[in-house]
Amino acid sequence: MNQTRPVVLLACLVACWPAFSAEEETLDHRIPPGYEPVQEKDELGLWMEMREYEQALKQSALLVRDEDLNGYLQEILCRVAAAYCKDFRVYLIRNPNFNASMTATGMMQVWTGLIVRANSTDEIAAVIGHEISHYTLLHSLATLRALKKKLATGTFVDIALILATGYGTGLGQTMAALSVMSFSRDQETEADLLGMRLLAEAAYDPHASYGIWEKIIAEEEAAEVKREDPGAFGKTHPDAKLRAAYLKELVTARYGPPDAEAVADQRLLSVLNNHYMLLMEDQLDTNRYGRTKELLERHAALGVEPSLVRYFYGEMFRQRGKDGDRDLAKSAYLHSIEGGRAPAKSYSNLGYLYLKEGDIENARTYFAEYLEIDPDASDREMIEFYLED
Amino acid sequence: MIYRISMLIALAAVASGCVSTSYTLVAPGATALEGMQVNATSGWNQAPPMHTPSMRKGAALWTHDGPLLDQLIIIPGVADGEPLMNSRDKSAALPLFKKDMLPNEIEELTESTFVKYFGEGNAAVTTKNLRPQRFGEYRGVMFDVDATVSDNPDYRGTAGAFVANDKLYMMFFLGAVPHYYDKHSAAATSVIQSATLTGGSNVPVSN
Repeated sequence: MNQTRPVVLLACLVACWPAFSAEEETLDHRIPPGYEPVQEKDELGLWMEMREYEQALKQSALLVRDEDLNGYLQEILCRVAAAYCKDFRVYLIRNPNFNASMTATGMMQVWTGLIVRANSTDEIAAVIGHEISHYTLLHSLATLRALKKKLATGTFVDIALILATGYGTGLGQTMAALSVMSFSRDQETEADLLGMRLLAEAAYDPHASYGIWEKIIAEEEAAEVKREDPGAFGKTHPDAKLRAAYLKELVTARYGPPDAEAVADQRLLSVLNNHYMLLMEDQLDTNRYGRTKELLERHAALGVEPSLVRYFYGEMFRQRGKDGDRDLAKSAYLHSIEGGRAPAKSYSNLGYLYLKEGDIENARTYFAEYLEIDPDASDREMIEFYLED
Repeated sequence: MIYRISMLIALAAVASGCVSTSYTLVAPGATALEGMQVNATSGWNQAPPMHTPSMRKGAALWTHDGPLLDQLIIIPGVADGEPLMNSRDKSAALPLFKKDMLPNEIEELTESTFVKYFGEGNAAVTTKNLRPQRFGEYRGVMFDVDATVSDNPDYRGTAGAFVANDKLYMMFFLGAVPHYYDKHSAAATSVIQSATLTGGSNVPVSN
């Protein structure tokens, strides 16, 4: 780990703290509820494009249409958005990564990876509050205008450089792109600050605004394969550690320290328990075992149905296949089965593990139980092949 | 993501005029690829290597109506510890073949590879109907694939695989549903089921 990074972050936080505090106090919605553009051509064009995009999104097969999941998000959205509730449509997208986004028209996308990573409904509300802030602060329009202006200036600089030196360097366009990214980072900070306030006004825990970032940081640290870092100037979002730090300072200063006792979030638990297979199978397919293990540890602590969590521990250890993982996988499957709510695949995958070890008797036992539990299993022919072999 | 980057590189290469854009005809009959042989009942078109940068050395992509609509990918001889495809992204976390993999694990390896091929987060891939299949003298498996891909048609497919001499030989077909899967599925399945181990390197056996 880079040892200078915490020092740089702390220095930045100390230097920026008064500015964040003052900005947060004066920051407010820039449009009223029910807003629609009427005059500005670029804004009208942006809305037209985004409405077309929304129509296309409605047809996407990656859209999760489950009423329970969508109802949960809609409930959070309306509570945080308050008077702006009717301005938004939320779409849940089947994507195991962490993200949410908002368009100029109020179309919000939330990825299933957010639900998997949140420790509480408040943390999901924090992300939704952040996205609502992007909308009411007119960030998409501001980005469009900044992009047009900066790229025009960059092109002018490039042409001037070609005329002066005879070489096309692309320097102007590069500077324009970096400037747009810096602009984007400023917008993210604005949305963090207003989002934090919306969260508190909706009677959600404002400490969740940095809590979700602390989860992302912990997951990145647990990752066996790190994501490529685009570097300080190449990011469209502020560093997660910086975000967590300034939000923690602001929230604690304004609302006091967090509650000492954490209360189990029954609503989130119910959502996770009812949709755990869909949510975690996609996570497993990413082949990112360190991250998956971190999420499973969190879910176990949250109180997600133990049979389900243990089944995915079994899947994760078995697929990772490091020294000792086979025993860990077997133990996890057996615990899942003991819990009484194990997915049928716990039995077949346990059978395969015994088969690999040459323990034919146990392999047969679990294969046979698998077919008893799931007689219509799509891999019945394969399992019967082993039972007869 | 691998799929998208491949298409972009291919487009850039074509636009620059520095590579051949031509597909080569795969005539009906037997074709050998890096130690394995398949038998096609109809003609296919093999994509040039510059169009398929995510393919391993020795692997081939065949198509009838273009890779966006149907593709039959043949991957010969994946050694222990190697991925089924290439990626320039060092953080891609590609799943690796292990020589002691059982049928369920080969199915999972394929599913996760498909997720990476289409772009992590851009595709939801499920596999089903895992079943035994004999490839010449080797025991192997077949299974079916469904892939929902962002900004692409939905795909259905069939995969076949066997392990010989500690190496994985994998063939899979993906066709856009419903039309292109239905149109080419029988021909593709026939090629997959014909796979056997042999010598030679990517030349028609009949020549």
